[in-house]
Amino acid sequence: MGRLDTGRILVTLAVIMFACLAYVPTILREGDIVFALTDVYLYETMINGLLLGGVLALLSLGLNLIFGVIDVVWICYAEVVMLGMYAIFYCHTVFGLPLIPSMMIGIALTAVLGYAIHYLVIRHLVNAQPINQLLATGGLLFFFQSAATLAFGIEFRNLGVSLGSFALIQDIYVSWARLAAFATAAVCVFALYLFLTRSYMGTAIRAISQDREIMTLMGVQQGRMYLMTSAIGGGLAGLAACLLVLQYDVHPFVGLSFGPIAFMICVLGGLGNMVGGFIAAFIFSELIALGGYHFDIEWGYVFAFVFFIVMMFVRPEGLLGKRS
Amino acid sequence: MRPLQIVRGTVVALAALALAFTAQAADKTIKIGVIYDYTGPLAGGGSDLQARGAKIIIDHINTQGGVEGYMIEPIYADAQSKPDVAINEAVRLIEQENVDMLLGFYSSAQCVPVAARVDQLQKFMWITTCISPAVLKDRNLKYVFRPQVHGGMFGTSSTDFLAAYSQEKLGIAPDKLRVAIIHEDGPYGSGVAAGNEAGAGAQGFTVVLKEGYAATAPDLSSLVTKLKRARPDVLLHTGYNPDISLFLRQAQEQGLKFRALIGHGAGYGVPDKLYESLGSAADYIFNVDPVAIWLLDPTTLAEGLGDVTTMVGEEYAKSVDTPDMDLKRISAHVGMAASNAYVFFTNVLPRAIRDHGGISADALRAAALETDIPVGGTMLGFGVKFPQPGSAMDGQNTEAFPVVMQYVDRAIKIAWPKELQTIDPVLPLPSSSPFAR
Repeated sequence: MGRLDTGRILVTLAVIMFACLAYVPTILREGDIVFALTDVYLYETMINGLLLGGVLALLSLGLNLIFGVIDVVWICYAEVVMLGMYAIFYCHTVFGLPLIPSMMIGIALTAVLGYAIHYLVIRHLVNAQPINQLLATGGLLFFFQSAATLAFGIEFRNLGVSLGSFALIQDIYVSWARLAAFATAAVCVFALYLFLTRSYMGTAIRAISQDREIMTLMGVQQGRMYLMTSAIGGGLAGLAACLLVLQYDVHPFVGLSFGPIAFMICVLGGLGNMVGGFIAAFIFSELIALGGYHFDIEWGYVFAFVFFIVMMFVRPEGLLGKRS
Repeated sequence: MRPLQIVRGTVVALAALALAFTAQAADKTIKIGVIYDYTGPLAGGGSDLQARGAKIIIDHINTQGGVEGYMIEPIYADAQSKPDVAINEAVRLIEQENVDMLLGFYSSAQCVPVAARVDQLQKFMWITTCISPAVLKDRNLKYVFRPQVHGGMFGTSSTDFLAAYSQEKLGIAPDKLRVAIIHEDGPYGSGVAAGNEAGAGAQGFTVVLKEGYAATAPDLSSLVTKLKRARPDVLLHTGYNPDISLFLRQAQEQGLKFRALIGHGAGYGVPDKLYESLGSAADYIFNVDPVAIWLLDPTTLAEGLGDVTTMVGEEYAKSVDTPDMDLKRISAHVGMAASNAYVFFTNVLPRAIRDHGGISADALRAAALETDIPVGGTMLGFGVKFPQPGSAMDGQNTEAFPVVMQYVDRAIKIAWPKELQTIDPVLPLPSSSPFAR
């Protein structure tokens, strides 16, 4: 009962805060409520925030899955995305493959990379102290950045493909690439939910994430489940790469723009909770968008990070996380 | 002994002495720590191009036999696009590698702290690139010198250019012109933006938006929306490469329209990347920078500089495995570092050795303070002169000036000042541009 009340209070507070952040600055600036309610640019900002949320949700999905099941945070997750972007770039631009097959190869390669990361590194650290796990995946981050610098050089690469945008209504434009990221993130969360709840493999993965010792005694192959999860997580990184490569330049350090935010979204949503991560991504992105619209763009990030810090005090387990 | 034998013996002895002296002289080296970003986001954003320009000059000077008996021993160090690494590398080069001086530096965010540290260690620092006024302004650094144009000049050049063409080309009186100033929020972007704002104020423009953002920001759509709301005629933008691409792509997708876009170096100085990212939408963008040296008429430069300019271009073309490339398409970044390094090796360093007793920081400083190169005396076309100690900008070249270039059909043209023009500036954006209003 108490938990339910807390949840309702939080949702109500969130709605009030959102409305305040959305409209109050314009009302104060213009002194006109009608203007604030009909400000077309405000609605464009909200839509862009929603679409940015799709990008961030997609990025945090694989990271969340891996943490939820294996209980190890891949600090290097954004670098797997970066390698996926390079794979797509080279397949399409250098080897001349059509875009869709290039993307499929990118997803396949990152899935293999995810499998390899677990097999070569994480497997040996599953029962290690969390700090050792973080150090190992942090080391991988620098390894991937340096390896990419050596292999691909320091130049910024660009696919040179733009999906363009369409006018929703007068002066409000929606980017096809961001809309695709949004739709893909939503579909992936749903598909992952179905996979984890309806399939034998998904059930086994969930079971082993709940109690790895007991499930091993009951015949579930822990190592196999972990490898499978890592491959799916890597594949999701590849999927994110497919959509990011359409919007961003590829370079060895592109992960730095996304890695910390993706990690914070996972923590905010409740580490390992994919629905929580999905919701957290949209809260984060709307705070960034609206804060950046009403004030200097940096303020958007300040609001988002302040919100994150406050939530860590109020709900350290995350929005939908379970208290341990 | 016959007189002839005495003469022969004397000649041989003198020759041996001369040989020994030459050998000894050739043994002398000046160790120079050369710091640029060879990795990290800034490397691809222009630093690597600058580093190549400086290296070409160092190699060239060494193949010419060095400077006044000194061979140059460069020790290249990578700042990794991080200010803390730049400081550590500078201190390491000075304290462990015992370099005589430092040269280079692409990022202003690195230059600001490094310059103070190097000056504190009483070593000479010759800045080829970073432009933020904050590096030198009111700091009275003793051993830090910058032949490069500073950010304030970048900022006012674009507003001077706009003031000259606002009425003629845009049909808008300068006092009615609406400009937006957006910039990355480091010392580089902030310094240029301050120059933009001062210049806009002086010309009577209306600044409808002035805003900074983090160069690593993953999303700039809110900024684009605000610009749509503010409806500027002209965008004055300062940024590095990834953020510029992101901004322009999002601006295009969100339907931002304007009459002209003026960039200010760094990312805008790498037109190949702009075209790779935006295609023909990169056409007609202006860029304020020291001129791409291959665009200047060599007959307007001091004797011999034209040949050096060509040599730099050819060596650069070879270094990127495209020996047949059109030199006029090479990024201005390469020539900037090459010219500024060349000034040091052919003007300041020889005078320090000849007139001030060697290569100590004090000798180099004394020579730098005496530098007086007239207009046309460098590959970049401008002169070099440093203010006497005690000025607000100690160490800043007072004779440097940038030009306004325009990218048209993937070629780089000079649009301003008028005496250097290679194109009548295309203003406003033609309807073929997706940004045209």
